[in-house]
Amino acid sequence: MSNSNSSNLAKEEQKLAFKLLIPAFLILIIIALYPLGQVFYTSFTDKEFASSKETSFVGLDNYKALLSVSVKELEPIIDEETGEQVVDERTGEKQFQRPIRVLPRDPYLYRPSFEFSFFGNRYVVGARTPDFIRSVWNTLIFTLFSVFFETVLGLIVALVVNSEFKGRGAMRAVMLVPWAVITVVSARMWEWMFEPTRAGLFNMLGDRFGLIETSYSFLSNNSLQLPAIIAVDVWKTTPFMALLILAGLQLIPNELYEAAEMDGASKFRQFFNITLPLLKPSLAVALIFRTLDALRVFDVFQVMLSQKRYSMASFNYFQLIQARQMGMASAIGVIIFIIIFGFAVLYMKSLGVDTE
Amino acid sequence: MTRDQKKIFKKILFYLVLAVIVIYLLFPFYWAISSSLKSEAQLSMTPATLIPRDPDTGEISFFTRNYRAIFSNGGFVRGLINSTIVATSTTILALLTGSFAAFALGKLRFKGKTPALYTILAMTMFPQVTVLSGLYAVINALNLSARVSMIFTYLLFTLPFTTWVLTSFFRDLPDEIMQSAQVDGATPFQTFHMILLPLTAPALVTTGLLSFIQAWNEYLFALTFTSIDPSSRTVPVAIQFFSGEFARQEPFGEIMAAAVMVTIPIVVLVLIFQKRIVAGLTAGAVKG
Repeated sequence: MSNSNSSNLAKEEQKLAFKLLIPAFLILIIIALYPLGQVFYTSFTDKEFASSKETSFVGLDNYKALLSVSVKELEPIIDEETGEQVVDERTGEKQFQRPIRVLPRDPYLYRPSFEFSFFGNRYVVGARTPDFIRSVWNTLIFTLFSVFFETVLGLIVALVVNSEFKGRGAMRAVMLVPWAVITVVSARMWEWMFEPTRAGLFNMLGDRFGLIETSYSFLSNNSLQLPAIIAVDVWKTTPFMALLILAGLQLIPNELYEAAEMDGASKFRQFFNITLPLLKPSLAVALIFRTLDALRVFDVFQVMLSQKRYSMASFNYFQLIQARQMGMASAIGVIIFIIIFGFAVLYMKSLGVDTE
Repeated sequence: MTRDQKKIFKKILFYLVLAVIVIYLLFPFYWAISSSLKSEAQLSMTPATLIPRDPDTGEISFFTRNYRAIFSNGGFVRGLINSTIVATSTTILALLTGSFAAFALGKLRFKGKTPALYTILAMTMFPQVTVLSGLYAVINALNLSARVSMIFTYLLFTLPFTTWVLTSFFRDLPDEIMQSAQVDGATPFQTFHMILLPLTAPALVTTGLLSFIQAWNEYLFALTFTSIDPSSRTVPVAIQFFSGEFARQEPFGEIMAAAVMVTIPIVVLVLIFQKRIVAGLTAGAVKG
């Protein structure tokens, strides 16, 4: 009797669960099923955006064009007289043969994407779409650094705002200001602060405090572009992390700290033994969403660097709107999707997120 | 060091950290305010001034015409109204459907939870640009107006977010609460909306605020869907269409003025709701 009762209860619970999931799934089916299906389908065609050209099925061609890479070693250029490697007189760098000479040309042309050195040898990574390979690299670097800094700063801000002090309420509002500034506008605002003349904030400050001799052009200098973009994103999205962590902190019962206090545990130990482990579930969800967003970063790259340097999504935008290669753009979308899915699974496994 | 000295030292350190945080978070926004009060000539002064100053005399001088310009611009005011409607509706829909789903995923036992969670998450894994044309086709097929289209399509990123965050919160609530409610004869649904929902208030407010702001700031979808109906433009799109009444080039001062005016309602909103962020669990509820 009691057995069938409990299995009845379980059935009831299952039924209720399905009912509760219906609205969310209904919405997702209506708005997501067709667009996502279309992206997958289009990625196997050579469809052009806003064109009357006939579309044909091309199989995996788009994927091959995007993902084909070829790594080749570059031979050093040897001076015939001395028998030693030629060194550039101005830069002092050792000279290697030009990548174009070693990269394959037939049946497809591979162009250099980037070069790297390994055990004294110089290699070039060539790709049929070098900009895409670079955009993947840019996005990964961007994601790694911005998510790391956002998490650390978010944690600090959340812990500070969580302690008792006068004006805490106002502080919670202050904390969200960067997140509240419209993204497109905040990118413009920072672009203005990065202005390469002293009309820009950073050059003005650097000049006033005597830190810099000449004005920096943060957004055209290759080695400053990514740090600048990361700085903007960290400023903008730290509040997102901080607020989610703050909400997570509310779930930790005060009794635990009181007990730890009685046992004489230091604040430091309390943080590592109570706060961090109990915060893990909320931290994991915050991290997942932050990483997902960072991997799809578009606005800051588009506004501040446009075609100087791409993120995956801004390269995708370029392919669709400027190059009008809709098939190619869809394939990029699918590749981004797969990369992000991989990250999500990795997080879930490594942080031990319980999905059941 | 005596105990008192130590206490004072700690307090000073704390406020120092607090001050650094406030400056870091607010300074760029202060720069936007300051830029919004500058004329074209003041903006291009070198070196830039922290406070708007007259280019010739160096006296402090505020330029208010940027603000007058944006408010005499019908598009901006209409944008504020549209943004409010769209962001509010999306947030309410996302919280409603999201909390239902999250309760099922976080507290009820049934098969297929993991696939359900992953499917929901997968919705936000595509870059917005990629799904744009497909979404546009769906909207045309359903014959939705621009505002309704934005409300529904924003669920694409707000719904997975609210569902996931709320699920993790529901899961963390002690099972005893549900069990004791069941013993008292409450149905699971009653337990949900009378007991669990109030307990997750901090999570609801947090996700609500974050989703609201995300919807408020969304640009790409809004630009596309309002292209045939300019009267439904939201603020981010309206700002991009500023033609510049005074400036020949892009009206940077006006854009900054608009950015400041658009951020203020959100700050007020947060001030209203912020107490709720930390209301949450009371000691009694946990002990059960």
